Amino acid sequence: MSLPTDFGPDSGGRIKGLVIVKPIVYGNIAKYFGKKREEDGHTHQWTVYLKPYNNEDMTGYVKKVHFKLHESYANPNRIVLKPPYELTETGWGEFEIVIKIYFHDPNERPVTLYHILKLFQSPVNEGAPPTVGRALVSEGYEEIVFQEPTQLMQHLLMNVKPLTSGKWKHETDFEEKKETTLEKILTAKTKVRNEITELKDKLKLAKDTISKFKEEIAKVQNSSGALLQIA
Amino acid sequence: MADIRDILDIEQPAQEITRDSIIHGDKVRKKYATAKTVKRPEGMHREVFALLCNDNKELPPLLPTDTGKAYKEKKARLGMRKVRKWVWAPFTNPARKDHAVFYHWKRAADEAKEYPFAQFNKQVSIPTYSESEYNQYLKCEDWSQAETDHLMDLCQRFDLRFIVIHDRWDRAAFRDRSVEDLKERYYNISAILSKLKTNPWSNTITTPGGEKRIYQYDAEHERKRKEQLQRLFERTQEQIEEEQMLLAELKKIEARKRERERKTQDLQKLISRADSGAPASQINNGDGAPGTPTAAANLARRHDKKFHKKKLPTQQRPARVVENVTVEWSGIRFPEARGAGVGLRSQRMKLPPGVGQRKTKAIEHELRQLNIELAPTPTEDICKHFNELRSDLALSIDLKNALASYEFELQALRHQYEAVNPGKTLVIPASLCSSVAEADTKPVGEIIDVVGSPSMPNN
Repeated sequence: MSLPTDFGPDSGGRIKGLVIVKPIVYGNIAKYFGKKREEDGHTHQWTVYLKPYNNEDMTGYVKKVHFKLHESYANPNRIVLKPPYELTETGWGEFEIVIKIYFHDPNERPVTLYHILKLFQSPVNEGAPPTVGRALVSEGYEEIVFQEPTQLMQHLLMNVKPLTSGKWKHETDFEEKKETTLEKILTAKTKVRNEITELKDKLKLAKDTISKFKEEIAKVQNSSGALLQIA
Repeated sequence: MADIRDILDIEQPAQEITRDSIIHGDKVRKKYATAKTVKRPEGMHREVFALLCNDNKELPPLLPTDTGKAYKEKKARLGMRKVRKWVWAPFTNPARKDHAVFYHWKRAADEAKEYPFAQFNKQVSIPTYSESEYNQYLKCEDWSQAETDHLMDLCQRFDLRFIVIHDRWDRAAFRDRSVEDLKERYYNISAILSKLKTNPWSNTITTPGGEKRIYQYDAEHERKRKEQLQRLFERTQEQIEEEQMLLAELKKIEARKRERERKTQDLQKLISRADSGAPASQINNGDGAPGTPTAAANLARRHDKKFHKKKLPTQQRPARVVENVTVEWSGIRFPEARGAGVGLRSQRMKLPPGVGQRKTKAIEHELRQLNIELAPTPTEDICKHFNELRSDLALSIDLKNALASYEFELQALRHQYEAVNPGKTLVIPASLCSSVAEADTKPVGEIIDVVGSPSMPNN
């Protein structure tokens, strides 16, 4: 990769008002052996990964990806320098994997993702035990937001090459998911807004009624007080 | 061989033939067997039991086992001087006036000395008065001279032991008097006489300055004190229990009060932050007049009355704060996008730290009801709308709570009206009654808590 030489360390001033968003997908895929392995009790082979959401080569701006596994693994800190940013292991348990993405420009701090390694189907969704062959996928969508990136970073982010000439797709249809989620949220928002208006009306009514009741009580008390004085 | 066995605690395998075993072998064995079975009695400490029975479980010897082979210890250290002599001698006690002669043992050397305990017989000097003095200074409507004389006589006889004096009081000749009456009379006389004669009566106290101070007997105070003690003593079990219950109640009330004050302070902070920070809250429920008490405030007051029996003046302050606060509803304010740097979009959906645990739980509950993920796919649009939705939800939860307390107050006012104006009632608008039932299904404690904790609406 050829870097223009005029990006010295001092020219790394940030570009005001610019926001670059890089969507990513991260998660794991897990396969059940079909039985417990005799020698170490492992039951699954799994692969944890980080990949761009769009068809682009992340090496342009990502220096390395650091996967931190459970302490019980031999050298749990695994560093991947080149795509695919993924790691395959075997195991028997679920745990949290820390994924830390480092960028080429040291002025941009690394970002940290947390992913719970998933091996077993949630009983809520599917009561069946994991099946051999059919892999279980647990992945999430995320967006890395570069607020006012440095010039160097901007250059790197803008000039990314496509990763593959073929079709780039994911296990999960995030476009559809985005759409339905947004729709649901918007519907809910309208509903809650209506509720709030209704509640406010009710509150107003309640307040008015309270003052009315108070007046009535005061009236009754005054008249009874007057009666007492007469008596 | 047998010694080693003893040390190692090994039982003797067979009867070894020794002189001892021939003489009383049977006995030894039997003793051994019974000793083995001795168990530690229940409740006895292990240490104490260990003193009784050592490791071999042998019972402690009843007879001295000293065989005479060990070194003898001296029983006592005896000096080489001559022994001083004791004699059985007669003595008289100078404290006694009857010159009675008793006998006791004393050292021959102390023969000449006086009975040493006589010095402890202290005599109280009782003031005396003449007939004319009495008539001039000591006359009292309540006391005849004969009665006063009797009192002074008893005081002299019993060295001012008023309980005894009271016991020996001549009830045939004079009317019955309480200990306090007797004391009062005596100390009055003594005070007057000591002023007259400047005699050092026993009831004057020499202050460091050198002047004499007269002891003042406060009979009224004494009577009250004794009465109080009497009452304390005569409490029934129920009364004691009631007192303890009330004390526990008081503690609870004070704890609640502290809690409320703490919350009020938190709230004050929130309000000032809201005032200085963001523009006027997007939602105004129309209650602009801060002087008019709101439902929450009134309810809080009623709550006070109900639980505290009497309203403490300090509790009006927090109640008033509530009034202002109920107006200040607003949703959640999410922080603006951070400055330069890399970040994850999902971080934007984090609730700000000001949102309490309770509120967070409530919002999450609502989201689940709406079938919306707690952490939706973080695109820019979704983040924005999701945050707005949660802000609205927070607001609606606040409004619902406020409405519940208003309805509560409406009910209360209706009851109040019905009480002052029997036979008549006030009609609560139907639209408000619907959620009353809803509110009623909540545990009462929660309703009260919602109102009682002023921080709730802005939490």
